[in-house]
Amino acid sequence: MFATSTQRHFWMFKDENDVSNARLSANIKYISSRGRNMTVAERETHFLNVVEEKSLIMSYEYQLRDFCRKFHPPMPRYVIGTALHYLKRFYVNNSVMDYPPKEILVTCVYLACKVEEFNVSMDQFVGNLKGDREKAAAIILNNELLLMQQLDYQLTVHNPFRPLEGLMIDMKTRFPTFSDPERLRPGIDEFLEQVFYTDAILIYSPSQISLAAIIHSASTSKENVDEYITKILFSEDQKRLLNLIEAVKKIRVMVRNVQLPHRDTIKALEKKLALCCNPDNNSESPAFKKRMKQSFDEEESFEDGQYPSASSNQVRNMLMGLSEMGKI
Amino acid sequence: MDDYQTCPKCKTTKYRNPAMVLMVNACGHALCESCVELLFAKGSGACPECKCPLRRNNFRVQLFEDPAVDKEVDIRKRILKEFNKRQEDFPSLREYNDYLEEVETIIFNLVYDIDPTNTNKMIDNYKKENKDITQKNRNRQSQEEMELEVLLEAEKAQQSEKANLYVNAELEEKKQKHKAREKLIDELMFSDADAKSIVASHVQATAALAKEQPKAAAQLSSGVVKSSKFSSGVQIGLRGQHTNSFLPIPKQEDLPLYRYTAPVFDYDGPPPPPIEKLGKLNYFANIRAANITERAGGYTEAMSCCRALQEALGGLFYSPQLTHKAAVLATNASTPDTDDMETT
Repeated sequence: MFATSTQRHFWMFKDENDVSNARLSANIKYISSRGRNMTVAERETHFLNVVEEKSLIMSYEYQLRDFCRKFHPPMPRYVIGTALHYLKRFYVNNSVMDYPPKEILVTCVYLACKVEEFNVSMDQFVGNLKGDREKAAAIILNNELLLMQQLDYQLTVHNPFRPLEGLMIDMKTRFPTFSDPERLRPGIDEFLEQVFYTDAILIYSPSQISLAAIIHSASTSKENVDEYITKILFSEDQKRLLNLIEAVKKIRVMVRNVQLPHRDTIKALEKKLALCCNPDNNSESPAFKKRMKQSFDEEESFEDGQYPSASSNQVRNMLMGLSEMGKI
Repeated sequence: MDDYQTCPKCKTTKYRNPAMVLMVNACGHALCESCVELLFAKGSGACPECKCPLRRNNFRVQLFEDPAVDKEVDIRKRILKEFNKRQEDFPSLREYNDYLEEVETIIFNLVYDIDPTNTNKMIDNYKKENKDITQKNRNRQSQEEMELEVLLEAEKAQQSEKANLYVNAELEEKKQKHKAREKLIDELMFSDADAKSIVASHVQATAALAKEQPKAAAQLSSGVVKSSKFSSGVQIGLRGQHTNSFLPIPKQEDLPLYRYTAPVFDYDGPPPPPIEKLGKLNYFANIRAANITERAGGYTEAMSCCRALQEALGGLFYSPQLTHKAAVLATNASTPDTDDMETT
């Protein structure tokens, strides 16, 4: 349950400011470690600031959703929800410049498929990607542990979809005066899609979010479900009712303010990112490749606790051999 | 398993008679009893397999399934009577281990008939050199055996004494009963008091007597404690009186009995209806019914309905809190790290 989950105990924030502060501290940390020899003005131009990072992340969230929508076999909603959760959590603790978001994105989806028991083999998964498949597989496998580590190995995510179903059932049973709550479904689905682009999932509990979805959808179709809430759900507690109303209001405000950033801004930001990103973690950069090749040549035998690092060529050959034998 | 073992000479007889006993000889081959008798009745003493000369008294009843094992056990016993040094006789662990290895080599050689002349020479040399130490060890061993015997005897004595005591106690009881009955009869015959009162007093007397009996028996049994010391304080018995005294068993304290407390779930929201009531409250009308295959597997609609409701109602009372690591970092913010903060 949510009340006893790690999500509630370790990954919740008080409000949007807190989330921004966390992102800010990650950003500052990266800048101060990389831009030690620069002046303040130089840093501003060279590195991304928090707002720009946020826009970048939002664009990548959209990309994630698109990727999952076109995924074959069709991916259920809760897997997408979990993947978005992971992405958000990862970039609350780390800066966008530190780890390339494209790689983290695919790793998040892959990990979410595993955790939510939506079984997809690596072959099937990279089949959905464009470009070099073995390389992608290698990237995903290399990043998986990193991702889990940054999530503190707390992988269970509570999404708003099951509470939504529960509330629907409850409404149909205990509030029969409201005819056919299924009419509200399209509005609800849209709301829930949008809510994943906000930080609401890091601040409010999933049942509150789904209740906000119901209320929103009801109000857009000019219906009123207040009676259900006051009479049936919160018949005893007035104070808690106020608390909930406040929460719902804030969630709806957040969703209303969601704005997909403009494509040109995103392009510019990406260019800037390519300049200031951390070359050690970016598998495209020549420095990374050189380092990988070096470390592979030097370490023929690996000590305890270290994983063998391979250059992409070696990995490619290995993966090809493996895929010929059977499945990876 | 015994049926598998065949006497190599008469072959068939062993199958038919599982009570047949195999005897093993000095060269390690087995022969059933009847064949052994046959062999020595003829007067010739040669092992049917390896033809080494044998004597009748060299045949021992086989204890192990594999006659080779028996042979080895025999040789081992024989050798260890000679080679009976202990760890205390050696100045270092290494030398003791070397000695043991030597012993094992000798035994191995004898069992598998490797180089018998040399081995025998080794044995003789050892015997000559270590005669006195061997003798001393032998005495020490016999001392230990004696101690064990003493303990066993003491136990036996205790048991027999107890048995005697009980027998005596029973006899006593019988005698007393007899006496009491005679007394009653005498009183009835010769005294002038009322018959009924005599009988009543007699009954009381027997009841009181019956109570005393168990007390007396307990006293008697505890009286058979063997003295462990002479009056001067010197301890009786050979060294190691600690074998007789034992540490008291630690008393188990009375721990509180286990009490079952039902688990309490904190939903942080309005309580969902319990799973048993869902049917009555007509929730199932709004949920997909389980098809036959699902029901066969044990799934009922109540389960998913209950889960959905729990998740829906749980967490509704939640108010936002900062539980992320940022909270921990914030409390440590009073000591700022120079790395994190930008300094101009």
